[in-house]
This record gives sequence, structure tokens and C-alpha cells, in this order.
Amino acid sequence: MARTQTDQSLRIAHESFLVHAGFRYLKVALLLSVAAIAAYIWHDPPGGPNGGTWLGYTLGTIGALQIAWLAWLGRRKRTYRSSIGTVRGWTSAHVYLGLSLALIATLHCAFHFGWNIHTLAYALTLAVIISGIYGVIAYARYPSLITGNRSQATREGWLADLDDINDRSIKLADTLGPDVHRVILASIDRIRIGGGVREILFGTREPERKAFEKVQAQLGETTQFMATQVRPRAEPSVSPDQMQSTVSFMAGRLAGGVDAGEQAQKLLDLLARRRDLTTRINRDIRLQALMQVWLYVHVPLTFALLAALVAHIVSVFIYW
Amino acid sequence: MEEKYRIAVIGSGPAGLSAAARAAQRGLSHVLLEAEPHLSNTIFRYQKGKFVMAEPGILPLRSPVSFAAGKREQILDIWNRESIALKVNLRARSEVAAVSGERGGFSIKLADQSVVQAEFVVLAIGLQGNIRKLGCPGEDCEVAQYQLDDPDEYNGEAIVVVGAGDAAIENALALADRNRVTIVNRRDEFDRAKAANNAAILKAIEDGRIQCFYNSGPRRVEHLPGKRPRGLLVLNTERGEVQVACDRVIARLGATPPRKFVESCGVKFPSADPTSLPAVSATYESNVPGLHIIGALAGFPLIKQAMNQGYEVVEYIQGDKVEPADEPLLRQKFAAMAGFTSVDSALALIQQRVPVLAPLTRLQLREFLLDSDLRTPAFGEVIFRRNDYTDSFYSIVGGEVAIELDPEKPSNAITLGAGEFFGEMSLISGRRRSGTVRAGHRCILIETPRRSMNKLIHSVAAVKRVVDEAFLRRAIQASVAPEHPPQAVEPLIGSATVQTFKPGEALFREGDPGDSLHLIRKGSVTVSRQIDDREIVLAYVPAGQYVGEMALISNLPRSATVTAAVAVETIRIDGTAFKKVLETEPHVRARFEANYRDRLARNVAALQEPSHGSLIRFLMSQGVGEATDVLLIDESLCVRCDHCEKACADTHGGLSRLDREAGPTFQNLHVPTSCRHCEHPHCMKDCPPDAIKRAPNGEVFISDACIGCGNCQRNCPYGVIQMGVQEDKRPSLWRWLLFGGREPGAPDEAHHHHGDTPKKAAKCDMCKDQAGGPACVRACPTGAALRASPEDFLRVARGE
Repeated sequence: MARTQTDQSLRIAHESFLVHAGFRYLKVALLLSVAAIAAYIWHDPPGGPNGGTWLGYTLGTIGALQIAWLAWLGRRKRTYRSSIGTVRGWTSAHVYLGLSLALIATLHCAFHFGWNIHTLAYALTLAVIISGIYGVIAYARYPSLITGNRSQATREGWLADLDDINDRSIKLADTLGPDVHRVILASIDRIRIGGGVREILFGTREPERKAFEKVQAQLGETTQFMATQVRPRAEPSVSPDQMQSTVSFMAGRLAGGVDAGEQAQKLLDLLARRRDLTTRINRDIRLQALMQVWLYVHVPLTFALLAALVAHIVSVFIYW
Repeated sequence: MEEKYRIAVIGSGPAGLSAAARAAQRGLSHVLLEAEPHLSNTIFRYQKGKFVMAEPGILPLRSPVSFAAGKREQILDIWNRESIALKVNLRARSEVAAVSGERGGFSIKLADQSVVQAEFVVLAIGLQGNIRKLGCPGEDCEVAQYQLDDPDEYNGEAIVVVGAGDAAIENALALADRNRVTIVNRRDEFDRAKAANNAAILKAIEDGRIQCFYNSGPRRVEHLPGKRPRGLLVLNTERGEVQVACDRVIARLGATPPRKFVESCGVKFPSADPTSLPAVSATYESNVPGLHIIGALAGFPLIKQAMNQGYEVVEYIQGDKVEPADEPLLRQKFAAMAGFTSVDSALALIQQRVPVLAPLTRLQLREFLLDSDLRTPAFGEVIFRRNDYTDSFYSIVGGEVAIELDPEKPSNAITLGAGEFFGEMSLISGRRRSGTVRAGHRCILIETPRRSMNKLIHSVAAVKRVVDEAFLRRAIQASVAPEHPPQAVEPLIGSATVQTFKPGEALFREGDPGDSLHLIRKGSVTVSRQIDDREIVLAYVPAGQYVGEMALISNLPRSATVTAAVAVETIRIDGTAFKKVLETEPHVRARFEANYRDRLARNVAALQEPSHGSLIRFLMSQGVGEATDVLLIDESLCVRCDHCEKACADTHGGLSRLDREAGPTFQNLHVPTSCRHCEHPHCMKDCPPDAIKRAPNGEVFISDACIGCGNCQRNCPYGVIQMGVQEDKRPSLWRWLLFGGREPGAPDEAHHHHGDTPKKAAKCDMCKDQAGGPACVRACPTGAALRASPEDFLRVARGE
């Protein structure tokens, strides 16, 4: 009953699609590529290599079958009852055979390019492959970043927290007078989650100067002083900065000794938490978007490629 | 003036109602005593529109009152009408305070001090218990209530909630949105409640949304008609008496288990175990002559069974013989037995042949056999295989079986003959079968499912003793000296005791003297050391293995602390006796010493990688210590595509049993909300139709017998069971790809608009009926999802 004594580590054997089954499909893809290159070098048809030789047709057929099969992943991964391999195996094969397609397609056309449907199909093939390469990189990079940013929370939990903080800050603001109430209410209106495509992918814009200046003008120098003290603590690149002005405003009140210190401090803490929360939510949205955005290129281009491929094949047979 | 009846039935649930109705039908003088103002309080308290099922389908109904599966309202309505038509003498609002006397002269004292005399008493009070009231003057006045159906019914009221449990907190929080809520807590903490509820109530109190009186109790409640608010609650607080004006007082103080009351009637319970139930004879008579017990309190939680008993008990009291409703079913079962003549003779034969079943009453035996299967396997047929996850218990009625413990030496099989039993190891430990069992010649077996066997063990002390002793003997021999005859370990058995530990409790601590060895028979433990004020977890040790031998071999104090990860039972073997065996048995010594060196090396290795320890601790805190198979997601690979959830939904009637996002994460390792297939499944604890089963590969699944009661959902500490409606139609993938609409596996609205289809419990079945294993894992495109048994990945320092 003795087990091997060397086995001393925790083995939670998650295996990435990249290393699936000991790089089985990487090996298959390499074999295919090597064979294709060897054949291409060995083959010396009259008139130079081109898509019309027997090797050209063979490579073309292989490439077309590859494209069709690669596109089939979209269906296989949704056929949940299927037990033809695992989706992980399919993804693994998809990645490596997809990469080899770049070579097969290039050898098939034998470096003949022109402004025609054939080169369009080739260009689309490469575009799909390049977007796929970004996908592999994104899948390697973003999942850990998302987990780090989440720090245990769920998005639903975050939004509930945000609601709750807003509720509580309004209640606290009520006790601090109408101008505080107004500023907090306005700041809640200004919270932005998500936003347009540009904002999601590249982060929120520069602080809205106007809103900030308005608060400043209203509150005078104290705020400006406090603002310079408080601002550097914030992470400048990610925060929706409208929040910042509210924090500065509260800091100003605190420094000016206008209100009961304890309540204002509480409100300030809440606002700081809220800022952290919105920052995290927006970063989460951004990271998820960055992880998935390539699919919006990869999939439509695949359909375009399938159309171009059909056109390419049909035209080749018509003009034979 | 005292009333006198032939039969007094206490409790008007299905059993009691049926008994009273039968008495009325036969024209006997009777009274049906019910504490509440209405019939059948347990069903009355079901939520509106709840569908009540009529399992088991094979059992015929025999009662003057009709019953068929249907909505709560229909059933209650029928019972009300039929009980009036039959002229059942119902005495509502009559809580029974005490029962004294014996057959022919019972005296039943009611809460209002009046006394009812009866010749026979039928106790049918179920297991729900009586709701605890405020226990102060005014507890029954208009202002006080003990239930909250719909918090949205109340608006702008001043409401006091009394209690500190989950029900009280949930009510207070739900009411606080639209009412002024005060909560009264007898103590200074809410720590009895679930963690989430505790946090929520503390926050609500801190925010001032709910006012709280700690260390306070009610003194009196007053109804002040015409005033606003219409009531007054006077509290005893630390700072003296406080008056709280309020519109209503909602007390959520739980219920008193009926045991104390039942014991006060003179009825004996066979063990202190909270699940233990009083034993009754074949005529449902308890140890108190003339006092009969039927329904859930007698161990029959299903409505139909209870109603049948209500009918039968009246016949028995009148001295009439009645063929029990289960007679045809038993006859069918025994037909396979050679030389079968009658059910009674077969029962007698079984009791005579199988000593472990001898202490059972006839009724217990009938129930036991009704749940069990009588098997007559052919010679050489495999009953179960080593490493199967089945958990049924086998008694040998005739012939013999061979048990192969060592797969490499099938010739070393142990033979068991008639009267013996096997399968108790997996039953108690919740783990895989430790050997393969094959049928011998002319083998007749009784196969009993886990629940029925556990019920028996908890209700018949003699059975528990015999099974425990056999387990002790077999476990010690298997783990200490498998190559020796049983005599070699005899001194160990004499010194062995069964010990239980709560989760987090230490079996022993680092530095303690080494005085014993623990064989873990249930649950799992962690081994840890204190290094620089930090506790470093070295290992996880599951049931079936031992801990504590290191100090005995080295003669040094304990080198590590061993803590129960979940509820643990161990067999504690005395150190002196163990050392003696080591001295006399060189084989045993050699094996333990080899293990010792191995463990020492592993402990050193584990200390060098403290992060593993933190990971083990995290996994243990997630209940992995009692899991047999758990879904783990590597978040560094997870691209959040939710194909795991969709695959689950698509393969299980549109109802996903897994929530990927929920659940904690530690160093990229995420434990989603998904079934862990526990060794001792919490969900099985209280399933009236016994619909939750374990398949040979370990999958814990819910069969079609589910009645939708929701007990499993409440009992699961991991929140992985949900109530819903499965749909038969799956959305088409091509249609979705080409025209849009619902994606296969996308959340479905059907279980929200299920109309009259009753909701049933749904949980992970590990896709046991599908090729290729769990769909969630198969569907993961990146390899982030993995289902594994903790034994497979927690291999650090395992003493095998």
C-alpha cells in the first residue's frame, strides 16, 4: 500500500489547454509543418511553386479542411453532451493547428499575392490567426489580474456594497447640512460604471475639470490645500476622478472645522471606500473586456474568411 | 367537569387526524387534541401554494380521510371538510401539558389546567415541536405573533422582533425597509446565526436602521386597543425595565423538540442521540401500556405512512387484527426466499438467524425490511467491489460470503457465514469500500440502505453496540496487523474507545505526552506545527488512517498538533497496549517504523513549503475535509466564459447546479459553489422519502422520489442545492447560432414560471448518467475546471 515517497507536494493538477496531453497537438502541428516545408522544398514544378500544382492543391485542401475544422470549435464547445474529446483538447488542437495554418496557407499560395479574392482569403486567414494569437496571450495574462482585482468579491456583491455605501453616505450627509447633502447626491449621480467601448478598454478619461473646479470655487482655499494633500494618495490612472472632487470637498469641510468631526470623518471614510470600489469595478470591467475583446474580431473575421474561402475555391474551379 | 373518552388522540397531523377519523367512523368516543386553532399545523405552516407529494407511490392509502398529492390549500380543505363530515371530535387550542397514567386510566392535563380522561392515548405530535412563546403575560394577546408570512404586508409600523436566530434576524431585516424595527436579544451576541445574517444584523444596528436591546427579555405584552401604536412591550434590560411602544411583537424563538414532553409521559428513548426515536411494538404501543405512538415521532415521516398508522392503531386498540398496509409488499419481497410460507414466519426466521436484528421490535423489523432488499446472489457474484462508494449494510441470512481485503492476494479472503454482517465500515466512515465481497453458496442477504441502518443504530442501542464493536475489531486489525490472526490485536481492542471531536477541536497538541494512537473512523484531521507563532499545516489525514503513532514509536512528546477538520470520530487505542504489541510483533513494528520514517520525511518537506500548508488550511475551511469530490477552478486559467455553468444547465434540464463566480478564492484557487459529495452528506440527514442516494462511484444524487420539501437545501452547509423545475426541451444550438434566441445552457426562466409543476431539489450528480464524466469539466476550454477527490491532491505526509 506504500505510495512513492518522493510524492511530497500538493498536486492540484490543473492542466492548461496549452500543455494538454503533453503538448500532443503542438507535436502534431510541428509534424505537419515540417512535412509541408520538406515537401515544398523538395517539390520543384515547372514554372515554380504555385497553388495550381499537385502540391499546391494538396496544401490548399489541407488548409481548407483545417479552416473548416477550426471553425467547428465554436459548435463543439457548445455541444455540452458531446463526449468527443474534451473541449480543452479541442482548444489545444485549435491553437496549435491554427498556428500551423499560417504556414500551410503561405506555402499553398507560394508567395503569390495580388488584389484578388485569393489574397483576400489569405489575408483574412492571417488576420484571424493574429487575433487568435492575441487571444492566447490575453487568456494567459488577464485571468490572474482579474482574480487579483476581485480580492474575493463578486460583481453582484460589489454593486450591493456600492448601493449600501451610497445610502449610508446620504444619511450621514443629511446630518451635516444641506450643502454636503447636495454635493454627495451629485457625486452619486456622477458615479460611472462601465461606459463606452473606449472607456472600457482604455480606462476612464482625464478628470472632468469642470466639476472639480466648481467644487473648488465653492469652497475656496481650504479645499485646494486639502486636495493637494489627499490627491496624491489616490491611484491616478484608474480612478473615476469625479469621486476625487467629492473627497476633496469633504476633506475641506473636515479641515475647515465646519462640521462635527466624527461624522465628517465617517463620511470621508465611506467616500474613500466608494472610490476604491468603483475603481475596482471599472478595472474589473476593463480587464474582462480586454480578455474577451479579441473574440469580437476573431469570430466575425472567421465568418468572413469562410465566405472568402468558398469564393476562392469556387472561382478556382470555374476558371480552371 | 372532567371529560372521559375511549381514545384521546394528541396532535391533528395526518397520523392523528386519520386515527381520530377512524375512531369517529367506528363510532368510538374520542377526542382529537390540537394545540393550534387549526388542523395539521405543520402542513398549515407550509408556504402558500406549496405542492405536497404523496410518496411512496407503491404504498396504498388506508384511511377514512382522503389524501393525494396536491396543493397545501386543497389538502387542508379536504381534511377540514372530511373531518367535519365524519364528526371528528376536534378540540383545537388545547395544548397538552402532561399525560399520566396507563391503559384504561390516562389523565391528560391541558395547558388551561382542564383535564381529559381517556382509556387509550395516541400520541401523534410529530417532530416539529411546539413553537416557543414569549413566556410572559400577554404572550397570546393580539399584538404578539409567532410567524411572519410576508414582510411586505406591514408598512410604517413599530415592530419588535424577539429572538437572535436566523429566523428573527431575517424577519427583522426584511421588515426594516418599511417599518421601525427593534430587535430583542436575550444575550449580547448574534453568534448563533449564520455568518451572513450575523454581519447583516450588526451592520443594520450600527447604521441605526434597527434598534437593538441586548441582554434583554420580555416581561409583559399589552394590547392597548384604540391607541397608536396599539401595543406595549415591557422589557427587562440590564438597565432595568424599558417600555417599548409597538404595533406588533414578532417572536421567533424556535421550537421545543417534543422529546422532553414525550419522556415526561413515561416513554423511553433508546439513546441520547437527538435523532433517536422511541421504540414501539407492532401495534404502535410504546413502553407505557395503552400509550400508542404513530407518525413521524415513531419514525414514519411520510404522510401516507402516518395516515395508515392512524387507521391501524384504532383497529389495534379495539383488539381487531388488521393486515398491515405493507404486508403485500413484504410478501413480494420474501417470495424469493426458498421455502417461504408467510411473512410472519419469514420475519421470525430472519430474527432467529441474524443476531444483530434480534433486538428489534416486530414493527422496526418490518420497517427495516421494507426499506431493505432481499438478495439471493449466485455463487461468485460480486456484491460490491473494493473502492466502490456504496454505503449499504448487509446482513447474511443464509449461506456465506468471501471478503477479499487485499486485491493482490485474493486467496487470503475471509469467509463470513449466516448471522454475520458486513459493509459497516463504509456506513460509518462514509468512505470507499475497503474490500471486495463475493457471494458464496446458497447466499441470502439483506441489503439495507444507509438511512434505514443509521435510523436503526440510533434507535436500538443493542444494534449500535454490536455494529460498533465489529467495526472496532475489523478496523484495528486491518490497519494495525492485517497479516496476523485476530488474536494478535485482542489486547488493543480491549483498550480501545470511540471518541468524538467537534470541528476545530484538537485530538492532541504538540508537546503533549504520547499516550495513545487514534484511528480515524469518520471525518478527517489536519496535522500542524507551531513555528514562530505561526501555525503551519503539514498534512491532511482522512478517515481510515491513523495519527499519533509517531510519539509512541519515538517515545518523545507529540511533535505536532492534530485537529479535527470536520466532525470526527476516532478509535483511541491506548499507548501502553500498543507498545506491547510492537514489542511482541516484529512485523507490526517494522511496518510502523517504516511509516514513521516516511511521515517524518514528509513533515520536514512540508515545513519547507509553508504555502502548501496555507492552501490545505484554506481548503479545509471550505469543507474539503469532508468532501469526496470537489470542483476546483484555477483562476489563472479561467477565462470566465461560464461554459461550465452552461454545460451543467444544458445537461440537466436547464437548471445549473453550479455557481462559478460565488465562493472563495485563495492564490488563484477558486472553490465555486458546487457539490462536494460529502462523505456523510448533510443533505441526506433529513430526507423524508430517502430520495438522496450515493452511487457506487461516489456521486450523491437526488432520485425522482423527491417530494420537494427543501430539507436538503436547508441542511446543506455549502448552499449547493436549489429548488427548481427542470424542463424537458432544450434550446436548439443551430437556431441560436443562426437566428439568436436562447443559448443552450443559458439561464432559463421556466423555473420561475413553472405554473403548477412542483419544484424539486436539484443538485450535482457528477453527470453519472453521461459518458465522459462531469460536463462542467469537459466543457472547460482552458483546463481551469477540475473535479478531484481531496485524497488525490492532498497527498502530503499521508501515512500509507
